[in-house]
Amino acid sequence: MTASADFDQNAFVRALLDPELPAPNGLEARHGIPPERRFAVYRNNVCVGLVDALAERFPVCRQLVGDEFFRAMAQRHMRESLPRTPMLFEYGHDFATFVSSFEPARELPYLSDVARLEYAVGQAYHAENATPLPMDVIRALPFDRLAGATAALHPSTHVVASTYPIVSIWRRHMSDEEMTPLELNHGEEALVVRPELAVNVTALPLGGSAFVHALEDRKTFGQAVIAASGVAADFDLTGCLRELLLAQAFIAVGASR
Amino acid sequence: MSDRKLCAAFAIAGAFATAIALAETAKAAKAEQEKCFGVSLKGKNDCAAGPGTSCAGTSKTDYQGGAWKYVPKGTCTSIVTPKGKGSLEPIAN
Amino acid sequence: METRSAPEHSCTRERSLPARAGVGFKSAHFSDIEASAPDVGFFEIHAENYMGDGGPPHAQLMRLRRDFPLSIHGVGLSIGGAERLDREHLRRVKFLADRYAPAAFSEHLAWSTQGARFLNDLLPLPYNATTLAHVVAHVDEIQETLGRPILLENPAAYLRFQSSDYSEIDFLREVVRRTDCRLLLDVTNAYVSATNLAFSAEDYINAFPMSYVEEIHLAGYAEDADEIGDPLLIDAHCAPVQDAVWRLYDRALALRGPVATLIEWDNDVPAWPLLLEQAARAARFLDKQRSGFGDNARSEALHDGVG
Repeated sequence: MTASADFDQNAFVRALLDPELPAPNGLEARHGIPPERRFAVYRNNVCVGLVDALAERFPVCRQLVGDEFFRAMAQRHMRESLPRTPMLFEYGHDFATFVSSFEPARELPYLSDVARLEYAVGQAYHAENATPLPMDVIRALPFDRLAGATAALHPSTHVVASTYPIVSIWRRHMSDEEMTPLELNHGEEALVVRPELAVNVTALPLGGSAFVHALEDRKTFGQAVIAASGVAADFDLTGCLRELLLAQAFIAVGASR
Repeated sequence: MSDRKLCAAFAIAGAFATAIALAETAKAAKAEQEKCFGVSLKGKNDCAAGPGTSCAGTSKTDYQGGAWKYVPKGTCTSIVTPKGKGSLEPIAN
Repeated sequence: METRSAPEHSCTRERSLPARAGVGFKSAHFSDIEASAPDVGFFEIHAENYMGDGGPPHAQLMRLRRDFPLSIHGVGLSIGGAERLDREHLRRVKFLADRYAPAAFSEHLAWSTQGARFLNDLLPLPYNATTLAHVVAHVDEIQETLGRPILLENPAAYLRFQSSDYSEIDFLREVVRRTDCRLLLDVTNAYVSATNLAFSAEDYINAFPMSYVEEIHLAGYAEDADEIGDPLLIDAHCAPVQDAVWRLYDRALALRGPVATLIEWDNDVPAWPLLLEQAARAARFLDKQRSGFGDNARSEALHDGVG
């Protein structure tokens, strides 16, 4: 006889994820004690493990709302969105979306954008390596033909645009900057790049993320300027290029078309 | 090349040249570099790594039941929203 | 797909782990390791943490691999599940194994995936003919893909299934017989399971198919209690290895002879010197076993202080 029909993996998972349910049938501990307390070990392993994972991925969000609020919020998220792969460093891909519609966090409208930035930092950390274009190569580019040229950006490059000062918020938590009151009176567009081993986060001038997205879509510099100007009429091209150069975001600049 | 395109090409060429000069000046000045790079996660780079897998269990218990009873108690109090620091009152869920 | 050979400067692939003490690698210890070139027998990593495309994880692993034998330990293949293996994940494991040419690849007698959801825990399975068929098919497929035998690890159990027809050891024996895989004996898991399910840990070790064991794991457990106040041990990898586990380890070595032994410490990761001290203690057991000292010498190792 194969009794394994008794082992319903789906029922096991349902009970694992819903502490209101009793332990699944067919389990036993020793000398007749109920299996509940033992089954709870697996429940805790799954729940605490995944909440810890989110806490590690979103350390600034955790500090912003405090440990208790964060863990409770992360647990809600975990119950509706489990990791899709065993690569735990990818977990949290839809946490920002969850936070944006999480009613108890409504008072902190910037929280989901900070979460998006934190996820981008993690993606940059694990992204493919590439060698940034050296400054002397950049200096020798034919500037007058760049308007028709395309660029390849470092594979770790991410931009996160927000109507809140997310870079300032992120930075004051990741450094030892004093927590002086911060006004939510302007937006920031974060540039995330990991040229070598360290992830750098900096702010682009408004329109900068549209500029970067256009370059990532293999548009020319000329087209990227138009895209950025569509977002910010007084787009600061010089300032944007300066940040991209400092962040070592270019790995190639293509020939003129 | 149309005049408009020529104008754009000229603007981009100028912006690039200026940006390179600015970036090189910034790089030369260490303090400025720190400011421009943002924080390169000094000593906190591990934070960027995010979670790793575990083959261990935990003795911690973490179960939050039905009713929502938490209010944010973190550094968010140092952020000033247009409405003030936020009421931070419990919100009915 | 391009298959990379072992990193530059690395020795050719060792056929098995050295019979020495190793530790689970934590990136928090990387600078200590780099600065001190410690005398560690090998390092073990979790496969899933090195499946990103680049960045510090691979930079650190390349560096480690240059100087130390490597063991890759998977936590995500879900060998004990009823579902077919996640081929994409298996392909990632294969890519990693080809790239770093580890001396061993091990996985768990457990499941962790359901559908497209990863549960991030090593979940238990009943031991019967149906689950045996799944496990055998999965181990076969992994070994075929990797082109090498894998090491299968005994789990830490908190409860058992009424539908089990085999003991854990008979089940493992049968998997070994049908797949020619090898075993990873986790002595802490044996102790934890024995305590939680009220069987004799010594009997378990005595019956374990030692000739197939190519690696031993040791870790510190956490203590809790069940409904009636009986001890409920949790395999938390959060503390120094307890004395009861060292005693069992000593017994296992007496039966098996010296074999690669890993100190696992994954939660509340200690400072590097404390981890190294645990490995040194395991090394003393291995040395005494090797030099064929008798019971006196072993009991000396047993009475070394912990921490």
